[in-house]
Formats: sequence, C-alpha cells, structure tokens
Amino acid sequence: MVHDQHARKTHAAGRLLSSESPPAPSAPEGSVAARGDRSGGVSTWWRRHAEGVLKWSTGGAAVVPGLALAGVLVALLVEAIPAIRGNGLGFFTRSSWEPGNFYNPPVTIGGVTRPAGASYGAWPLIVGTLESSLVAIVVAVPVAFGTAMVVVWKLPRRLSAGIGFCLEMLAGIPSVVFGLWAALTLGPFLSRHVFPFVSRHTPDVPPLSFFHGPAGSGEGLATSGLVLAVMVVPIIASTSRDLLRQVPRGTEEGAVALGMTDLEVARTVSIPWVRTGVLGACVLGLARALGETMAVAMASGVVLGTIPHDAYATFGTIASVIVSQLDSALTDGTGFAVRTLAELGLVLMGMSLLVNVAARLLVRRSSSVALPVGRGI
Amino acid sequence: MVQLLGNDTTGLAGAAPAAPAAPEPSVAGPAFAARGLTLSYGGTAVLADIDLDVPAGAVTALVGPTGCGKTTFLRSLNRMNDRVPGFRLSGSLELFGEDLYDGTSDPLVVRRRVGMLFQRPNPFPLSIRENVVAGVKAHRLARRSELSAIAEARLRQVGLWEAVSDRLGSSPFRLSGGQQQLLCLARALAVSPAVLLLDEPTSSLDPVSTAAVEAMLTSLVPDITVVIVTHNLAQARRIADHTAFFHQGRLAEHGPTARLFDDPSEEATRHSLSGHFG
Repeated sequence: MVHDQHARKTHAAGRLLSSESPPAPSAPEGSVAARGDRSGGVSTWWRRHAEGVLKWSTGGAAVVPGLALAGVLVALLVEAIPAIRGNGLGFFTRSSWEPGNFYNPPVTIGGVTRPAGASYGAWPLIVGTLESSLVAIVVAVPVAFGTAMVVVWKLPRRLSAGIGFCLEMLAGIPSVVFGLWAALTLGPFLSRHVFPFVSRHTPDVPPLSFFHGPAGSGEGLATSGLVLAVMVVPIIASTSRDLLRQVPRGTEEGAVALGMTDLEVARTVSIPWVRTGVLGACVLGLARALGETMAVAMASGVVLGTIPHDAYATFGTIASVIVSQLDSALTDGTGFAVRTLAELGLVLMGMSLLVNVAARLLVRRSSSVALPVGRGI
Repeated sequence: MVQLLGNDTTGLAGAAPAAPAAPEPSVAGPAFAARGLTLSYGGTAVLADIDLDVPAGAVTALVGPTGCGKTTFLRSLNRMNDRVPGFRLSGSLELFGEDLYDGTSDPLVVRRRVGMLFQRPNPFPLSIRENVVAGVKAHRLARRSELSAIAEARLRQVGLWEAVSDRLGSSPFRLSGGQQQLLCLARALAVSPAVLLLDEPTSSLDPVSTAAVEAMLTSLVPDITVVIVTHNLAQARRIADHTAFFHQGRLAEHGPTARLFDDPSEEATRHSLSGHFG
C-alpha cells in the first residue's frame, strides 16, 4: 500500500515534469518537409523549447527571494551564535551595555572569548523599540485613516490628487532627511514649545504620568515616535485611500437609500469593507516603525542601558543602536561586540515576525464576514 | 412624522410580517403626484414636463428605451438624485400630499418612507442578521432586544428564513444572487416603508429567482406602493397594475397596464411595445 502510493506519486511527479514538453516535436517537422509544404510554419529550436526555458528561468527567479531570506538568516545566526551562548538568556532581561576593557587580556567563559568586563543586555532596547513604534502607530493611524476618508469622500478630485501626490512624496523622502529634520527642527521646537506645555498640563498619575517630566533637549521618545508617525502615515493613508475607493458605489447607495447619514454609511458599509485591509496596512506601518534605523538614530539620542522613564527621555532602539555602535564594536578584537549586534539583529527580526503573525491571527478573527474581494494581506 | 414612526415601531415589535407598512395618512390620493416635473443634470434636461400620478397601493411599472429618463425619475422619488452634483429639479413632486422638494422634507425620513431595491444585489459587509436590521438600527425604530425578532420576521416575509436561519451570523456574500436580492428586499422592508422603488431588480437574476422576487412584489400590495423600472416588458405585463411609458425624456403615455399594452394610443408606445412583442 505504502509502496503503491509512492509509485503513484513518483509517476505524477514525472508526468508533471514531462508534460510541458511533448517528446515528439520533430514529427510535424518531418511531415511538413515530406509534403514540401513550406507554409506549414517552422519549428525552430526556440519555439520547441521556449516553454521549458521560460519555466526554468522564471522558476529560478522565483526561488531567489527564498534563498536570500535563508541566506540572511543563516549568516546572521552563524555570526550571532557565540554571542547567544556568551550572553545567555539574561540578554533579554539585562539593562547593561558594557563593551568591557579592550586593552586588558580577554577572558574566555564557556568557550566564548570576550573583553574583560563585557556585559550586554537588550531589555532597554526592546522596550525602546516597542514604545517608539507604539507612539508612531497611535498617532499615525487616526491621521492616516482620517486623511484617506476626507480624500475619498469630501474633497474634489483635483484636491485629492494633490494630497495623494504629497503622500507619495512623503513616502519617498529618505529617512536620513527625516532624521535631520527631527534633530535640527522638530525636536528643538517640541522641547521648547510643546513638551513643557503637555508636561505641565498632564496630571501626575499613572499612566498619564508618563507624559509628566522634564522636556529635555528634544531628542527622545516623543520626538522619535512623532517622526516615525510622519514616516508611517503615507503607508497607511495611501493604502486606506485605495481601499476606500474600491468600496462598491452600489453598496454605499444601498445604505443611503435606507436613509442613513454619511457617518452611518461609513460605519455600516465603508469601514467594515476596508477594515481587514487597513489592519494589514497598519501592520506594514508598524513593521516599518520597528525597523526604522536612521531617523531614530538621529532623533532618539541613542542612549544605552536605560529604559525611558517619561515620554521626553532619550532612549535607544535595536536598529538605531546597531547602526550607531557598529563602528566601536568593530574595534573589539575578540569580535564579541559585533556578534552581540548580530544577536540584536536576530531579536529585531523575531519581533517583526511576531508582529506579522499576530496581525494575521487578528485579521482572521476580525474578518468573520467574508467579503467578495481579496484580503488586504 | 413622529407619530408615523411610533406606528411603525409598534408594528415591528409585533413582528407581524403580513402587515409591513403602517397606512399612510392620505391613502385616498396617489402615492406620488408629479406636476410639470423637469429633471436636469448640469443644465441638460433629462426629463421634461412630467405630469404623473402614481396610484397608492398598486404596482406601477416605468418602461421605455434606454436613456429615456425612467431611472432618473425613479431616483428623484426618494431624493437619491440629491447626491448627484449638478442635479436640478423644477415643478413639483408630492409624496402622499407632502412636497418632497420644497425644502421642508428631510431626505433621511423620505428615504425611510420610500425604500429602494437596486439593479444588483448590494448587501452590506455585515452578517445576514445585521444586514436586515441595519436600517432599523440607524433610524432607532426598535429596541436592541427586538432586533432578532425583526430580522426573523422580515426574512420569513421574503421567504429566505429557511435558507439562512442557521447562518444568520455569517456573510451574506456566500448567498446566491437571488438570495442576496431577497435579503436586500428584507432589509428595505425592515424599516416599514410606505413605498418601494425598484430599479430593474431582476435584471441580474436567473428566471427562478426572478419569479421569487416578482411573487414577493405582488404580495406587498396594497400595503406598500411599488414602483418598478424594468426593461422587461413581459415582466411589466405580469406584475404591474399601471404602466408609464417614457420616451426621449418625456412621459409618452400612462394608464392601466392592460390598456397600454393592448390598445396604446400614442404612436411611440405602439411602435415600442409591438416591436418587442411582434
């Protein structure tokens, strides 16, 4: 029985491979020649093999993304394994960031060589990454969806095209420019005119006490979150706009014909229609915020080893620390610092993966009413 | 109007599918009365100088060639054209003696009293149950605890209950086209309209579903006034008590269906109707 199944499977696979190129391309050629009929068409090598060539070349191209992902993962893992062993599980709970003394002889603990006194912990960076991304999403989602609704429903075509253009331009600005803007303009402005006001007027009770503190210099959590929000808005807004445009007019008219107000039409038809896709866009935005490097590196202050106590405190994220610490890490003769950065990279990838999986579960649960159109993600 | 809503709510609470509509105040007169009605989009007249009484409690069919303005006329009966930029209306149009366009009527209330069914089924992306009661909830016609009973009563009324009773919480998009259209009908009936407008409601349906919808429509009268736009003259003949024939932006002729089809007095009517049947 088992053997039988195996045989059938092999046969099927064989058929799959061979079916695309029938084994008798020469027969018609021969008969054409025999009849001396030149108008019967020609069977060149290319015509006979085009399908096979196409199949293998496109198939090869399709494999490239998978190989690239596997390659990055493997390289990162190989690089990080000594750090994973050396830092242990405490990596996720420690707050220290001590490269150790590069001038003293290195020590070897558990087969891993590191500078004397080296001790690394990712906890503040994990918290910083999550907090800044959370700020970004909380600010960006209402702004982006509001923009999309206004553009689709309220504005004349000309104006909405203009706003669409602005969104695309915003999405195209390099993040280093955003970082520069945040560090030179937005941060100082906020710390001088906005943060003191917010801090003064929020009561000192948890969780609002998070916004109660010294305004600082402008580098920090709130500034980074806001810059990230500006970067995330185009992603969510343009996707939401496109989704809202796809809501069938007839369905919206059905709601209007029941005597619903614009708001009720939106609540009954339009928003349920786009909910899944917008959720997908929010996850894309969140992933962008989690991994955003340069703007945060310039706006956060890249502080190592401390968890931000209030919204205005300087902090660090995984990505920003990797980029800002790489140079000094390379001076570690034992290589332990660089390997620790690789381990940090793995943690970041794991977080992105978790967000993605969580979003998929959320989407599956929220889309109990199947739409006659494709899902957002 | 407040009193009317009160009447309807009690009717719904009783969940009696046989008596869907509260009787309108002046049932003696026509449901709609158009006088010198001219409709235009962006300065171009689509319909000119229409004088038409749509009898209450009967089925009236609006027929005519494509582009003759019958759908525009239909959509002005529940003020759907208000939403079209550049739409203008002159003359007068009364619903049970109340002018629809003199600035005193509320389009939201008008659309509750005058329900509409569209060419293509357009269920909302909500569950089947929520689809039926969407209008009831928007107009706050019933308490939350009554919604389930309303949904069941309306689904029974349109003959859909048996098919969907075990999946009220699931998507309406898995239903067949005909079932979706019946669901939309149940949704329209749930707010107890006095009039139901239909814009070629069976043009995208198969013959069996068409028959089901037609049977439903004829069962609504005389409680509800039905106005139906149709390209299908056989359908008009089957279900309509009165027929109005539109031609090139004018009302060419109107009257009892039998007389209009058997003995049309206008040349255009005769030409069109006999062309279809001859």
